[in-house]
Amino acid sequence: MSETATPEAPDATGSERSALTDSRFLAWALAGLVLFAVEAPALVTFVVGFLADAIAAFPTSYAATAADFLVGIERAAIDLPTLLSRDLVPNQGYWNGEQWVGTFLGLSPAVSWAIRVALVYAYAFAFLGWFAAGYELYRRRYRTADWTPRDDVVDRFRGHSWGKFGLVVVFLFVTMAVFAPTLGPTTVDQNMRDSYSYEMQYWNADAQEVQTTLVGEANRNSQSAGDSANVGPLSYDDYGRYHPFGTMPTGSDLFTFIVVGSRISLIIGVLSVALSALLATSLALVSAYYKGRVDLSLVLLSDAVMAMPQLLLLIMLSTVLAETWIGGIYSGGFVLALIFAGTGWTYMWRSVRGPALQVSERSWIDAARSFGQTPTTIMRQHMLPYVTGYLLIYGSMTLGGAIISIAGLSYLGLGVAPPTPEWGRAINLGQDYVATGSWHISLIPGVLITIVVTGFNALGDGIRDAIDPQSDSATGEAAGRGGGA
Amino acid sequence: MSRTQRVTDAPLLSVRDLRTVFHTEREDIHAVDGVSFDIYEGESVGLVGESGSGKSVTARSILGLVDEPGHIEDGEITFRGDNLVESGWDAHRGDISIIFQDPSNALNPVYTVGNQIEEALSIHQGLSGSDARQEAVNLLETVGIPDADRRVDEYPHELSGGMQQRAVIAIALACDPDVLVCDEPTTALDVTIQAQILDLLDDLRREEGLALLFITHDMGVIEEATDRVNVIYAGEVVEHASTETLFENPKHPYTQALLESIPGRTDPGQELPTIPGEVPTPTEPATDCRFAPRCPKAFDACTQVHPEPIDIAETETEHEAACLLYPEDRPREEAVSLHQSKTEDDR
Repeated sequence: MSETATPEAPDATGSERSALTDSRFLAWALAGLVLFAVEAPALVTFVVGFLADAIAAFPTSYAATAADFLVGIERAAIDLPTLLSRDLVPNQGYWNGEQWVGTFLGLSPAVSWAIRVALVYAYAFAFLGWFAAGYELYRRRYRTADWTPRDDVVDRFRGHSWGKFGLVVVFLFVTMAVFAPTLGPTTVDQNMRDSYSYEMQYWNADAQEVQTTLVGEANRNSQSAGDSANVGPLSYDDYGRYHPFGTMPTGSDLFTFIVVGSRISLIIGVLSVALSALLATSLALVSAYYKGRVDLSLVLLSDAVMAMPQLLLLIMLSTVLAETWIGGIYSGGFVLALIFAGTGWTYMWRSVRGPALQVSERSWIDAARSFGQTPTTIMRQHMLPYVTGYLLIYGSMTLGGAIISIAGLSYLGLGVAPPTPEWGRAINLGQDYVATGSWHISLIPGVLITIVVTGFNALGDGIRDAIDPQSDSATGEAAGRGGGA
Repeated sequence: MSRTQRVTDAPLLSVRDLRTVFHTEREDIHAVDGVSFDIYEGESVGLVGESGSGKSVTARSILGLVDEPGHIEDGEITFRGDNLVESGWDAHRGDISIIFQDPSNALNPVYTVGNQIEEALSIHQGLSGSDARQEAVNLLETVGIPDADRRVDEYPHELSGGMQQRAVIAIALACDPDVLVCDEPTTALDVTIQAQILDLLDDLRREEGLALLFITHDMGVIEEATDRVNVIYAGEVVEHASTETLFENPKHPYTQALLESIPGRTDPGQELPTIPGEVPTPTEPATDCRFAPRCPKAFDACTQVHPEPIDIAETETEHEAACLLYPEDRPREEAVSLHQSKTEDDR
């Protein structure tokens, strides 16, 4: 417990201090405002775009009007300058024989792109630091209690290197998903969906002049298809475009594909885990509170759900619902999330039911019952806080599993519909070239999936060890760890 | 309060022939098997017995907290004229409050003490916001927590065991109860703190007119804190009397053995007597004396006849014991057949 807060002067605790006149708080708030301001237009665009997509998916005329309105806001926001935008640090340019035209400060496309990626990650880490500083400020200066049990949890996690590795991986992945459009050297629209509608200029080395061509045409001549034609990782193609991860068999940029694919994975993963956590927790609390027959019938229900073949259900439902409006949301990703949640909650329910039953035996539950508190309030106020830690653990681990499942399904050609990038599909597209010079198409997404899933599992492990010291694995590392009960 | 006075008053809480059974896959456990007692306003009643004798299940039954697979099979729990077993507890929630053995387990660690008192206050007195906070501070002062204004914002782990138990009592008081069930309220505490908590409860009884039901295995607590005692063994009340009478003149062999095993009541240098064996788990309805296997005075009939409570009051106070030895003034066989016929009458 070396990191325990040194108690401050007793007259300077909590409620007596006004936040608005405290310089430390003001500095923190100002930093937050700056962080928000530089990204405000992008944030608005993202949120509004997200809502517009969701609303447009409902087949009513009201929804269409509302979606149009939101798209209007989105257009307006796009025109405002944003720090981390493709416009501010452009990397798509051409060589005119003497220098690069259209790139950031005339630097090469590779360097411009690297600067943009570095900026994005610097921003993300700044945001993380700002958040941590805020918590620290609250913990040291505003919270009335010197110590709460949660402090021990945080301190234990700080000493857990495997968990911290997981946190870093997950953070990098989430940043990738959030800033997907900014991170790619090009965009999905230009490079994959509508490549024949966009023109680009390039330096024709044979003719020694700048020429104009269609992006689709350029892609056709930049394919990675074995040893005969290949654009590998960290290289330029003949059109002066930089490909950090090389190109795909179609000639489109693999990095852009992966970055945008991470977004789909994360959205489906988070949605499915959130839905199944909601279902699992409510049912676990109900079965722990009422016990007996209610519990037994839920056990039977979950067994019945577990007995259903998930894959078969998935293939069937995604085919049946493919043409309906619900099947259209996120290229079928929404249906995928629903099916994952509908079949996956049982595992989480089983895991959470144990802790829920445990807490239901505590005297404070009986005390609340004896003075007439309602069952729902008891479940929410007195049982849920005890279970949330476990939810974080299982949620984190299930999320890793969901990402693997989504990739696995799109590898098989199920789930997310083709024009939308998905990691599993990249592996599928590259599988013919694994033993050739175009090895990168399958290998890079495969390695990334492994790292991300390991990261989520490591984070889950770290949270578990932090929340429940008794579950510590009996390794030497665990014994050497500081802090905690 | 004398016995004659009580005839006119109805008891505040009356438990009659309470039977609580737990149905497990292998057998039915008759944890409480025909317990009866009364609590009058402002008095303190004890329920004493070893671990596993059914005291805590009795407490939970009174509060309507028996969970599946257990249920109250039979009997009446009458509070202010309402039979709670039939009408349900909802109308009287909070009128009967409970404080638990382990205060660290009875307080939710994620909320401040004030928060938990305010929760009870909002349900029972409709208070919220600063009114509730003020009332919570008042309650903490009532239960003798110094610096209540600051303590009200602290988390349970910041309080010592004795303070935690005081906070638990404050939560119970927030419901404005008439009966306070104290389930081993001092077992988890230091001896010095025990005395303080008992004094506090006694003050509350006198000042607020609370009726107390003490559930404990500690004869010392019973002697100090109660007016009347019920001795419970394997789900049955085997003897009940005023505390004074019971300690001076215990009649049931079990009570006698219990009292002998209190340190300090035997002569110095003598080995402390114990009761060999342990309380049986009653899986069948009683057909014999459940204490017989451990009883030094058991005779043949004890394994065949179920003893019924017999009035053995020698003075004006009440005194009943369920043992085949009584009534003492009758010949042994006659006494046994009296018990037998009483059992048959009940069936």
